[in-house]
Amino acid sequence: MSSMDATTPLQELFDKEDQTAPDTRSVWRRHQLWPYGYMAPVLVALGLVFGYSFVEVVRYSFYAGSVGQLTYVGTANYKELFADPQFTHSMFNNFKLLATVPIVTGASLALALIINTTFRGVRHYRAIVFLPYILPATAMGLSFSYLLQGNGVLDGLLRSLHMSFLIHDWLGSPSWVIFSIGGVIVWQQFGIGVVVFSAALLSVPGETVEAARIDGASWWVVQRRILIPQIRRIIEFFVILQAIIVLSSVFTYVYVLTGGGPAYSSSVMEFFIYQNGFENGSIGIASAAAVVLLAIASVFIAFYIWVRVRATKQAA
Amino acid sequence: MKLSDLHGGAAFPSTRSRSSRARRTKTHLVSAFCVVAMMLGFVTLPMAGSVSGASTKTTITYWFWGESDIPGITKWMQQRIATYEAANPGVKVDLVPQSNTTIIPSFTLAAQSKTGPDLDTQWATLPTILPALGGAVTPISNYVSKADTSHWLNTNENTYQGKIYAMPLYMIGVPLVFNKKLFKEAGLAPVAPATWAEFLADCKALKAKGITPIGMGNKDGYFGAWMFAIYEKQMLNSISQLTEGVAGKGNDETKLMASLKSMYTSFQGLIKSGYVNSNVESLTLDQGWQLFPEGKAAMSFTTDGNVLSWAKTVGEANVGVGKPPILGKGALASAYDVTQSSDEFITSWSKNPKADAKFLEWLHEPVNMIALNKETGAFPADNQFPVSDITDPLARALDTLDTSGTSIWLENYIPPQIDSDADLPAGQLITSGSGTPAAAVALWQQQLSLWRTQQPTQFKQFSTWAAAS
Repeated sequence: MSSMDATTPLQELFDKEDQTAPDTRSVWRRHQLWPYGYMAPVLVALGLVFGYSFVEVVRYSFYAGSVGQLTYVGTANYKELFADPQFTHSMFNNFKLLATVPIVTGASLALALIINTTFRGVRHYRAIVFLPYILPATAMGLSFSYLLQGNGVLDGLLRSLHMSFLIHDWLGSPSWVIFSIGGVIVWQQFGIGVVVFSAALLSVPGETVEAARIDGASWWVVQRRILIPQIRRIIEFFVILQAIIVLSSVFTYVYVLTGGGPAYSSSVMEFFIYQNGFENGSIGIASAAAVVLLAIASVFIAFYIWVRVRATKQAA
Repeated sequence: MKLSDLHGGAAFPSTRSRSSRARRTKTHLVSAFCVVAMMLGFVTLPMAGSVSGASTKTTITYWFWGESDIPGITKWMQQRIATYEAANPGVKVDLVPQSNTTIIPSFTLAAQSKTGPDLDTQWATLPTILPALGGAVTPISNYVSKADTSHWLNTNENTYQGKIYAMPLYMIGVPLVFNKKLFKEAGLAPVAPATWAEFLADCKALKAKGITPIGMGNKDGYFGAWMFAIYEKQMLNSISQLTEGVAGKGNDETKLMASLKSMYTSFQGLIKSGYVNSNVESLTLDQGWQLFPEGKAAMSFTTDGNVLSWAKTVGEANVGVGKPPILGKGALASAYDVTQSSDEFITSWSKNPKADAKFLEWLHEPVNMIALNKETGAFPADNQFPVSDITDPLARALDTLDTSGTSIWLENYIPPQIDSDADLPAGQLITSGSGTPAAAVALWQQQLSLWRTQQPTQFKQFSTWAAAS
């Protein structure tokens, strides 16, 4: 069969079937429509869950008041949002937390490369590293509250090590609190990074590494020139995913550790949305903030798509 | 080359075609079955609800809070419910305990969708009145006779236009509690400081002896809110000075901001002098309070219930109580900080308001009120409660304070949004040392302005209420 053949065997088979059918057009139609029928429940669910919600959020962002008492205010919510120091501070905190992305990526990649070499107990070690990721947020919040509070466990440890100059009220000091939250994020996300990178490294063909070693490549050269380039796509994916997590999924950390305080100093965009939408019932300003958050997260998603497209083109 | 050729024979296509068609038909049938099953599920779902709804039992869903005010009150409520259900087999009360961080947001959400509790606990006055004006609360006086409500104390906190919206359960005062033993260790007479100057002098003496003078927590912002409630009140001549300032009438707002600044300056003085535990900002109010029963702090601002509970740990002979020291010069300076704190009301969407009211009314029967006092030490908000039953000297001292004159808890008179977004964080600016009194006042102004534009209907309702109250 020539590659230039216009019809494939499978197509011919369908053609033949179509010829035997009593009403060719209706059968053809059925062939074309049934896949959509299968997809319909999912499409409807997605439409309801995401599409409808998205439209409603955008619509609400042009109103003030609570549900049932809404007043159209045009773009006033957006103007108010950017004039509100609490929101801009929250947004800035999200950007500060982006600093955790290279730390999580670098640290987890480094550990994944180290434990990629099989040694005794490596599986247990991976499981231990992964443990923080599956801990419930409330347990984590409670533990770190005791650990990081002023005169808490960490301060006690520092005092006993004669390092009193490092003692801080880690969660109660407005200048330290966001870094403390960043530390907890690194601690929890580190495990998933190690697991993702370890899985990626396992998929690298052993022959490549073996060939490099035969050619005299050192351990470091193997990591830098062979293994890291081979899992580059996974690293890119992980970085973007972490950036999106830090932008739009850090509410739990803030809520359980500080409740956004002291005096909004640890508030992030999600917390701002929660406080206005859920506590105050100010659905309009909360929706406007959600739209802004979505727009920022979309930039990262678009960047990821661009990276993927570019990679596909390069591969082709 | 055709696909059929690969399988060697002309007979194959027809067999394959038949089997493929049969498989497709089977798939179509399974899919159709799934769709029909799904539709049946959707159709029968409401019917399932109506079947359970057809049960003769009346279910009352009760979102209840009170534990932070009165340790042990949840257990008391569970016991009462068990007794009530035994006496009324046709009624089931589902108790859903709330926390002080969820009490407002949970109900705000419930009120938006008009689903959730039949009975709800809310903080008194504006956290109850504003949802009521928004149509989320049924006035309890519609279902309980005047003869019965006349026994309830402090109903004025939830009365508007002649209707009582909620029922009080207990009364709490907020005294300054002090540890007599630690006072003696610091060379102080074991008496409560009456003025701010005496208070500062006591703090200074305690600190000099290495004793933390005041044990509080402000991670959740409530220490700051309490300072506002106690000391801003002392700056005012009337509550309308506050409500008109919040409503932004004339120069009332300017006057309110000036008194707030004065109050925050005194508050900042306590913090800067190191008279409050250094980790105040990383402990919640509940956690900060624990420093007192642990003997790690000499004083605290707390509730009657906590004082009685702590006396069991510290020893009643070591515990003294007094009114919070006087700082302000307003006409309300001598008023004591007493409130029903939280109240119980019927939601507007409750299907059985009569059954709800009957249950609430029953809670006020003397036998239940006496049990409340016996089991928790709380003072019931009912004038039928025999005060002679209070024999414990500390409890008597607290009761004397509570009934000594005008009672006001100022936090009840600001809209919940202003409480959470201005009052609480403004106090945190002071306790964390990250803001000045001027910054705290600026935060109040900014949040007031935001609330007026973001909640136009609520603002209008508040202004009407403020003018009428």
